[in-house]
Amino acid sequence: MSAEPVSPPGEPVLVGREIEKSYGSPLPFTRTVAVLEGASLELRPGEIVGIVGENGSGKSTLMQILVGSLEADEGQVVRDGTVGWCPQEPLLYDRLTVAETFDLFGTAYGLDGETIETRRADLAEQLDFERFLDYRVDHLSGGNRQKVNLAVALLHDPDVLLLDEPYTGFDWETYLAFWDLTERLLADGTAIAIISHFVSERERFDRIYELRDGTLADMTDQDPPEADGSLP
Amino acid sequence: MTADPTADPLAQGLGAALREFVREPLNLGLVLVLPPLFVHGYGRAMENFPSIPFMHGVPQHLGVVNGAMAAAAFLPGIIGLFQVISARQADGRLSLAGFGQDTLFAARFATVGLVAAIASAAAMATMLLEVTPDAPMQAYLALVTAGLLYGLLGMLVGAVLPRELEGSLVLVFITDMDAFLSSGIVEVESPVVNLFPLQYPHRLYERAVFDGSVAATDAVLALLYLLVLGLLAIVVYARLTENGGVGS
Repeated sequence: MSAEPVSPPGEPVLVGREIEKSYGSPLPFTRTVAVLEGASLELRPGEIVGIVGENGSGKSTLMQILVGSLEADEGQVVRDGTVGWCPQEPLLYDRLTVAETFDLFGTAYGLDGETIETRRADLAEQLDFERFLDYRVDHLSGGNRQKVNLAVALLHDPDVLLLDEPYTGFDWETYLAFWDLTERLLADGTAIAIISHFVSERERFDRIYELRDGTLADMTDQDPPEADGSLP
Repeated sequence: MTADPTADPLAQGLGAALREFVREPLNLGLVLVLPPLFVHGYGRAMENFPSIPFMHGVPQHLGVVNGAMAAAAFLPGIIGLFQVISARQADGRLSLAGFGQDTLFAARFATVGLVAAIASAAAMATMLLEVTPDAPMQAYLALVTAGLLYGLLGMLVGAVLPRELEGSLVLVFITDMDAFLSSGIVEVESPVVNLFPLQYPHRLYERAVFDGSVAATDAVLALLYLLVLGLLAIVVYARLTENGGVGS
């Protein structure tokens, strides 16, 4: 990735405008919590954006709204192209094998059998889980399950990739392989947003936002986060 | 067992749902072992019961017959409940990826249907050791219908109340009450009782077992009940998975 933050040319492939979201319940003795209060974001082809924030700041809520798995109370999300989503928790079928998981999600994405097999082989090689293709998902280690979780999001070669804590549980080799893969995707024009509670290698990102008090603040030129994850 | 990536979505979804089911040994154990236990237990519980004029046959046989109906209904209900609860988020992600919600629902319901067929067969086989129905095939179909009804009810409860303990308690309570009220052991005059799922299949079943006739009106009402419950379950399931199964 480029060392200096740049704004890649091209129209945004993902736009979130003034997104608001509260969690509450009509039941008595419960309270409503406003999580997002006007968060806005744009993603352009070939751009990588980091979104940081404290625990409970609403990062995953924002990602779920951007990907379309959660409705915002207010605001607008516009997606121009296919979206790949890697949720924080691997949302997979425990008793299917890894290969069967790809077949199922490949069918959902509308891919033909040959494409599924080719993409699955490529991703398994790049993320090093080839030998686990016949393993059941519930028999995988946490790190390998996360690799499959990520690879499922990449299977259809999406235009926009939304990753929520994607490298949780990765060993160092896989972490490096993840960034190699990311750089190839960016070179091909994929737009990527990564959510993390902290960003350790800021030079890998074009822009970095901090989600604080329900809004996104551009922290690209700020100092790195403190050890507790907050920005000074 | 391997998946065929060239298969159509329904075949893929059905294959995945069935693999998920059969790869959990407890599921198979439940479906094969519990029905005989239900039938035997109900029979023994009723054998010392006094004969009452409106009862069909001896009390022990009535217990065996009702035990088969309770087993055929309860197990698909529980499996339907657990299928929806355990897979709701993965189903949501799959739906978000483009998998049709109707196809997903059909795959889940087909698995429940298979459970209904197996549990009914196991229950019927045990019942045959003590009672021979006058119309065995009709009796079996009535049991499967009860299983399908409770399978849908289980899916519905799982969608509305996605907690395993609470959902199971709801199903246990409803099934027990429904099996008892529809059993004919006591005569209950209440229009509310007719709203319970087992009322019509049980009448069908009872006629098939004890006199071999077809209760046409009850057959139509049972199918109508199945249709309405199915539509309701589809709507709720679609609502559940349309947002990726998250936050619901």
